[in-house]
Amino acid sequence: MMRAIPTLKISISGVRGVVGESLTPTLLVRFAQAFGTYTGAGTIIIGRDTRTSGEMVRQAVVAGLLSSGCRVVDLDICPVPTVQLLVRERRARGGIAITASHNPAEWNALKFVNSAGLFLADAQARQLLDIYHQGEYRKVAGAQMRAVELSAGALDLHVKVILDALGALPRATRDGRQLRVAVDSCNGAGSIVAPRLLAALGVKVVPINVTPDGLFPRGAEPVEENLGALCAVVREHGCDVGFAQDMDADRLAIVSERGEAIGEEYTLALAARYVLGREPGAVVANLATTSALDAVARSFGCPLYRSKIGEANVAEEMLRRQAVIGGEGNGGVMYPRINFARDSLVGMALVLHLLAGTGRTISELMAELPRSYILKEKMACPSDRIRAALRMVRDVYAPWPMDLRDGVRVTTPAGWFLVRGSNTEPMIRIVAEADTGERARRMIEDVRARVRACLDARDDEIRNRDESKKVRS
Amino acid sequence: MPWDIETRAVASHAPTRVELTFSRTAILCEETGVNSLKIGISGVRGVVGETFTPELAVSFAQAFGTYLDSGRILVCRDTRASGAMVQAAVFSGLLAAGCEVVDLGVCPTPSLQLAVRRLQAEGGISITAGHNPEPWNALKFVRSDGLYLNAAQADELLDIFHQAEFAKARWGEIRGKVERQDAIAHHLEILSRAFDVEAIRARRLTVAVDCCNSSCSLLSPRWLDALGCDVLAVNDDPAAPFPHAPEPGRQTMAQLRAVALAGRADVGFAHDADGERLGIVTETGEMLSEEATLALAAEIELGREVGLVVTNISTSAVVERVAARHGASVVRTPVGQAFVSEAMLEFGGVVGGEGSGGVVVPRVQWTHDSAAAVGLILEYMARTGEPISKLAAALPRFEMLKHNIPVEPDRIHSLLQRMHDELEREQLDYDQTDGIKVSWPDGWAHVRVSNTESMIRIIAEAETAARARELLDWARDRVVK
Repeated sequence: MMRAIPTLKISISGVRGVVGESLTPTLLVRFAQAFGTYTGAGTIIIGRDTRTSGEMVRQAVVAGLLSSGCRVVDLDICPVPTVQLLVRERRARGGIAITASHNPAEWNALKFVNSAGLFLADAQARQLLDIYHQGEYRKVAGAQMRAVELSAGALDLHVKVILDALGALPRATRDGRQLRVAVDSCNGAGSIVAPRLLAALGVKVVPINVTPDGLFPRGAEPVEENLGALCAVVREHGCDVGFAQDMDADRLAIVSERGEAIGEEYTLALAARYVLGREPGAVVANLATTSALDAVARSFGCPLYRSKIGEANVAEEMLRRQAVIGGEGNGGVMYPRINFARDSLVGMALVLHLLAGTGRTISELMAELPRSYILKEKMACPSDRIRAALRMVRDVYAPWPMDLRDGVRVTTPAGWFLVRGSNTEPMIRIVAEADTGERARRMIEDVRARVRACLDARDDEIRNRDESKKVRS
Repeated sequence: MPWDIETRAVASHAPTRVELTFSRTAILCEETGVNSLKIGISGVRGVVGETFTPELAVSFAQAFGTYLDSGRILVCRDTRASGAMVQAAVFSGLLAAGCEVVDLGVCPTPSLQLAVRRLQAEGGISITAGHNPEPWNALKFVRSDGLYLNAAQADELLDIFHQAEFAKARWGEIRGKVERQDAIAHHLEILSRAFDVEAIRARRLTVAVDCCNSSCSLLSPRWLDALGCDVLAVNDDPAAPFPHAPEPGRQTMAQLRAVALAGRADVGFAHDADGERLGIVTETGEMLSEEATLALAAEIELGREVGLVVTNISTSAVVERVAARHGASVVRTPVGQAFVSEAMLEFGGVVGGEGSGGVVVPRVQWTHDSAAAVGLILEYMARTGEPISKLAAALPRFEMLKHNIPVEPDRIHSLLQRMHDELEREQLDYDQTDGIKVSWPDGWAHVRVSNTESMIRIIAEAETAARARELLDWARDRVVK
């Protein structure tokens, strides 16, 4: 029998678990103390998404940070990129974002931000984990304890830095009217700030799911199957574009003026098109991001570098390459000139400027990109079998060029695919891209069948061993 | 019987671990720096940055939420700098256990105790180490009738804490918000209804008050203002640190005395950190012992209505003398407010309290409330027109001495047992309400085990200092022999 999959995941991406089961206030207090011990006494910025458990988690984090002598600046409900922005603005020692991003409502998590406003890099995260496990945390005497500062102006500041950097939109749709924009914030952290930003940019806003109550009105990931309501609103109101955020407002997906979800992969491609047109430079994306981005970079004569999956890895590569823009195919756009973070608000502003500047529609802009089909799959897989599955993939597809930096990425004449273990769940993720949907699907199915067989074979092996033990005894 | 007064003792419900919040043991711990955590019936108390950790506060809040079956819980705190940390930990633990949390902010514990009943809460947690110095903090647990948990209830809470299997609210049940409410306005309303406000207003008394920069800063000056007093407030800034130990007594009231004298005040009052204990300075500048507060209150209340007075076994015999003058009797309980409250309810006391300066005025509530004690004294002064010094002068005077003996943990109970045996052999009468108390016609000595430290505490009282010394030495010789 397969043992139950644990609901707690402590990793270099932070600590994540199910409220009412594994994510207890004691665990959270300890992690906050460990972080306060890691950063030393200083200002720590905290913020949370709208999950129902957010208040419980926030209080535990506040207690742990204060206990270790930190000064806490609490942004309350805000996007994760706002926390990152404020860490830099306030020259804080670090930040904690309370969000389980795309995980379902029963989950919550802590994500740790360093003094540069970036998620902890591998080595930093490992050091934090060592402190956590060692269990000896910095403690200050009662008299040295600081208070919590509630910072109300963070969202306004976030809007302001975007406007200051990009300016309001030129009034330039084809017929000269105001752009009309639908936004779906998933009742998440973007609920308050996204309509505010869009209004400030000078567009007409049609908001849905902007009640920040943590009750998920749809699947949290901004992927096509979750965007039916937004597509309908775009069609109904004749919007020029629809924007969908995830719970913590770091990722952005786009719906075209025809009411079709164009796929979250293309958010970065459109944003890069606008940025490279004004300031050519290096582009960084992770290994799983669409090859349409290569075409965009190429069209401006700019290099594209690939990194491992994960915001911290992309950020690290961007720093190394002095990239002007980067991000991930899951809808995460990073534009360092405004905010070195995956920031859906920045993404919206860049795409709207592209629309207004070119006078073209989303569909027209998409038509200019090479058409490709990208499919994503995930399969449950116990963490201890992921390695064996990946080894099998490496052996079976050995004739094709491979990139082994993060899982196995194979380039075949039909396209490419990537197989890797998830950082956040006991899952194997498979991504494939080809010039037709049929080819992409065939690649995924082929890989999935082989991984399935590999896992089943191991199950059989274990069963046989158990039975032979029984026979012997 | 000493003093020719009938004295009844309430049987102890539990063994020696029931030493309660208001013993002085906590301060002694701090002085010696060992074992600075006390988990017991009084809740959990310790030095922040050492033993009193956020994990501990979280776990106790979870245990309390589990104990109360996830109902509505009120939370308040005093002004200690560690209060924000402890409060956040408590909120988190209560929310995780599925409680509906109501935040009363900074307010006195008695205000919370009244609010628990008004808001029909299941209970409350007061974050305050009361009279302990600033480095300390504590959680004090209040049940749905506004009183502290009694010994049996506290034991049950401790069992849940130790078992560490707490109620856990799932995402759809957990409360996403902490509601903010005020408790002080209601407290003022109750106080105003309990006393003859018009009579006090008519006298236009001048009152000096020292709020120790803690939660009484938000209550006491408003209460005195409502009573029409000219208020000379010192240390009434809740954002400032404690100006002195938050324990009313002769050693902390010098500043209050100076203000009272300079302002020609009719009386001066000193509060502790959470509004339970009261110290008094007379219009002549005499700083009364904290033992006098209950005696004065008893004198006043028994003058209105003869009935039982309830106090603990370690409180001054002045209380018996005062009761005798009015033909009233005294019930003695183990040390601790919960015992005093429960005995008052059980026997129908007219006034109660402890030698630490805590007074229970049943007209207001069945628990220590320094603002109620202020109302009682001012009402008396207004009604009689007499100066406070005259009332104080009428109290019999005793000398009290205290001594602590550090003992190895494994010897402590056997030492006390040996003393028992010895007293049996000598066929001396003694009281076992809480430790061993031996009384003579002209004084008494009390020996008991501290729960916070490996230490035996001795208190002796007599009419003269020499006799008190003699009784203290007598008891000490029996302990350390």
